[in-house]
Amino acid sequence: MTPLIDVSGLTIRSASQPLMQPLALTLHAGRPLTILGETGSGKSLLAQAIMGLLPDGLHSDGDVCIQGQRLSTSERQALWGKQLAMLPQEPARALDPTMASQQQVSEVHQLVLQHTPEQSQQRSAESLQSLGLVNDGDKIPSQLSGGMAQRLAFAAATAAGAQIVLADEPTKGLDASRRNDVCRLLRQHIERSPERHGLLTITHDVDVARQLGGDIIVMRKGEILERGSAEQVLNQPSSDYARQLIAAAPSNWPNGLFEQPVPIPSKLLLETRGLGKQRGGRQLFGSLNLQLAEGEILGLCGDSGSGKSTLGDVLLGLVSADSGDIHWHTRVQRWQKLKLYQEPPAAFADGVALGQLIDDVIQLHGLAHQQVAPLLEALSLDASLLERPSNEVSGGELQRIALLRALLMRPKLLIADEPTSRLDPVSARDVTVLMTRALRAAHCSAVFISHDLDQLRHSCDRVLQLSEGQLHPIG
Amino acid sequence: MMPAAAIRNLLLRRLLQLLLMAWAIGTITFVLVRSLPGDMAYRIAAERYGDDAITTAAAASVRQELGLDVPAWQHYLNWLLELVQLNLGNSLVSGDPVIHNLQHQLSYTLALVFAGLLVSLLLAIPIGLLAGFKANRGADHLSLLASTLIRAQPVFSVGLLLIFLLAMNIQWLPVAGFGELKHLILPALTLGICMAAVSSRIIRNSTVDVTRSAYYQFARVKGLSRWHTFVHHGVRNISVPVVAYLGIQTVMLIEGVIMIESLFAWPGIGHALSHAIFSRDVPMIQGAALLMGMLFVVINALVDAICLWLDPRLQLSASTSNNASPTNSTGKKTAQEASL
Amino acid sequence: MRLINTVTRRQWLGTAILLVLVLFAVLEGLFGSADPARQQLMNRFLAPSAEHWLGTDQFGRSNLARMGEAVRLSLLLAVMCVVTAASLGIGLGVVAGWRGGWTDKALNFLVTTVLALPGLVLVLLFAAIVPGSFVMLYVGIAITLWVEYFRLVRAITQQRMQSPQLQASNMLGFGRWYLFKRHIWPGLASQVFTLMAFGAASAVLAMAATGFVYVGLKPPTAELGLMIVELFPYYAEAPWVLAQPLVALFLLILGCNLLASKPS
Repeated sequence: MTPLIDVSGLTIRSASQPLMQPLALTLHAGRPLTILGETGSGKSLLAQAIMGLLPDGLHSDGDVCIQGQRLSTSERQALWGKQLAMLPQEPARALDPTMASQQQVSEVHQLVLQHTPEQSQQRSAESLQSLGLVNDGDKIPSQLSGGMAQRLAFAAATAAGAQIVLADEPTKGLDASRRNDVCRLLRQHIERSPERHGLLTITHDVDVARQLGGDIIVMRKGEILERGSAEQVLNQPSSDYARQLIAAAPSNWPNGLFEQPVPIPSKLLLETRGLGKQRGGRQLFGSLNLQLAEGEILGLCGDSGSGKSTLGDVLLGLVSADSGDIHWHTRVQRWQKLKLYQEPPAAFADGVALGQLIDDVIQLHGLAHQQVAPLLEALSLDASLLERPSNEVSGGELQRIALLRALLMRPKLLIADEPTSRLDPVSARDVTVLMTRALRAAHCSAVFISHDLDQLRHSCDRVLQLSEGQLHPIG
Repeated sequence: MMPAAAIRNLLLRRLLQLLLMAWAIGTITFVLVRSLPGDMAYRIAAERYGDDAITTAAAASVRQELGLDVPAWQHYLNWLLELVQLNLGNSLVSGDPVIHNLQHQLSYTLALVFAGLLVSLLLAIPIGLLAGFKANRGADHLSLLASTLIRAQPVFSVGLLLIFLLAMNIQWLPVAGFGELKHLILPALTLGICMAAVSSRIIRNSTVDVTRSAYYQFARVKGLSRWHTFVHHGVRNISVPVVAYLGIQTVMLIEGVIMIESLFAWPGIGHALSHAIFSRDVPMIQGAALLMGMLFVVINALVDAICLWLDPRLQLSASTSNNASPTNSTGKKTAQEASL
Repeated sequence: MRLINTVTRRQWLGTAILLVLVLFAVLEGLFGSADPARQQLMNRFLAPSAEHWLGTDQFGRSNLARMGEAVRLSLLLAVMCVVTAASLGIGLGVVAGWRGGWTDKALNFLVTTVLALPGLVLVLLFAAIVPGSFVMLYVGIAITLWVEYFRLVRAITQQRMQSPQLQASNMLGFGRWYLFKRHIWPGLASQVFTLMAFGAASAVLAMAATGFVYVGLKPPTAELGLMIVELFPYYAEAPWVLAQPLVALFLLILGCNLLASKPS
């Protein structure tokens, strides 16, 4: 059977340097192919090169055959929609912000497939219906949730009937349940017509690769490190990098990674009574009763929009609750309740050396400068990092420096709000390990907020899930 | 269909602007009338009745007409009251009702405004689109250079250059005057060129932003041709910031009208305003400034309405919050970025 | 230095143009001997010579002296207006953005009032109160300019107040001055600078416009707009004299605009 895509000797270069080693890959109908690798490894360029969609200034060489025919870039562009479809990385940005949802699908029927306006309306209504967007046809993208935008983008991208779908980081920034929805959507594309349809996915997420199955190619820095069937690569990786990447996924963390604390009957740090908060006219939670012991690390998970970040802010006193109160069992200063942010650079003043910001804190509170060195070591940070401003330090290091700054204050409570969700898997694991270790050493209570249940299960004393305004313990 | 709430918000906001504008002008002209020098009444009387007829009685009647014979606070209230009733009084110079003069002048100013806008659109749209689609290439650089050079000159300098170029050296067009269509050409060209120097860059920047956006590319990937993508996803999205910027450019339009009318002796409101200020004809100043302000508010309201019609996002935000303004600070930002 | 590295070629050009104009204005003021108001009707429209470097005008006045005075006036007004407007706008903008509530509402109302009128109309009305007064022009122009700073600074302050970096410092116990210095000012500085350069151009333009429509400074003051309208009737007789204020105005505004340009 002719492969849907057959690429050989494909290279990508900018004016000054090559960005990708010569590469070959084959995509067959009915068998998903997933390219796995961390961000910045040139995976996205590969998809763009196959589509014929490279940004200005980049060029590709080599053969790209679509269904057995060797085609030039412009010939491939002529196949867009009808044979080749690409799902965008960020669907919310790929939808026209001023056009109604259904119109974005029906215009494809009308303009590409030359259907009559009535037919186009009907077809697009059907496809919206099948994706659970029945009542959303008149909405514009800013009224759609992330998941809805994702499904709408899928409908629009495949409206002209493309057999081959390329999905570039389709789960970027999604939490676990929405990620699974997207995987299901992609699999459905294959299952609808296994002898004709093909799927090429690019992702950094090992779990996505596992769910899609088929074949996997592991890539790093424009180079293929390993390829094979999903079972083989995920269960017996042969390259070091693939091993690291797979081991870094929270679902694969070994049990002994975190030292579990000896359960001491420790006294309470705080308890909340009947805490309630509304936001945007919606009740996030109604009456939460939560107890946090001194030195305890509490995991808090929930879907985006469930109010878990707001709960953290309420505990810190950054946002006031509508009802209920927080009772502190020990006296805690304002600067002993601190927070780690999702975007590490966002927490630092820009354009100033990080060491200067640390010194500012030391000076303000009359702390001892000798405290810094042991903390640097405990967080495996190089002292020279402090000479740089925040934008010249990697996310993983910056998050650890933020932790260092917080630990200097001998905090009683730390809210870590998705501190690793913007980091690549390997440094996410390192930050999680170092953070919990340092918190235990400092006997600091913490609420660790994450959308990744596996991560919390491994690293926290107990895990609560916030859903429908209620906290549910997770065993 | 635009939601009624959004339209009501728009009208309320502009109505507030209208009231504030009228109050500000009323107050400043009140200060003006109180600060007229003492012999002003005599001078006005002299101008009106001739030097021979000047009497203390005539001067006193002028003083009374100006309201200078009552305490300041009472005078101020009366002044604003008359304003609210749109009773603008008589010109101190000619003695004619201010309203009559303004009616005549308004038509000239409107003709200039519309002709100028037309010229600016005819120039800016093709130039801006061309520069945007060929960004950072020859045509773009050329349009940037031209825009920079024109923007570095006040409107009247551009007008003077056009006069030298088109009217004096090759004598195609009359320098000044009014009544015939050919008299409108130079003033409208001046206004249009000055505005196009800015708006062409706004169009260029908006075109670049839109054509490089993820949604523009996605439309192509869905299978739409270049032309269909431009028509269905380009035009509206490019227009949104451009029209919002027009609201800011209204300031430039009004200022341009004032200078151009002086330069070409075009008998509009701007000309009347500067003349009235020169001769300290307070009722005329008030009337002309008010009419200028009203023109400003009306054009702004029109721009708002077009923005609202173009951008469904505004219709949403307007129905959920009260302070959605299409001519927001982002418009200002594009204005600055367009600069160079 | 960081600052030097971020300056674009256009900004250098703008700086150079403005420096030349400042030098001209200062040197002429220090060493020029001619009186810009002294008329010598015998010497009408003399061509540039060793005695009159820039020639003479319709009343035989030294153009060098008049151009010196005019450029000095424009620069002085620009600096005064920009400094006043920027301090007022930044101060009130930070207060409004930081405190919110009634302070913000009241200041916003004030700004809406100023913005209800096109800037030049407001300046003209102020000019009308005391004819020929430099101070009134300055007050009128500064009033129209400060609202721009206010709106910009308020918006950025509001946004920065919500930012994690300020929140983090606030939780760490830092005081207001530190929060402003580290978190708000860095976000303002470059944009305020751009606005100042544009504001200087607007101020120069506004004064020239009032002079041009004959309601600004009065003769015999040498002011660029006034000079242009006075010399216009003699364009055929002495085009080079008319060209002088036109070119000076062009260079002043071009210099400011180039200075305001950002890297694209």
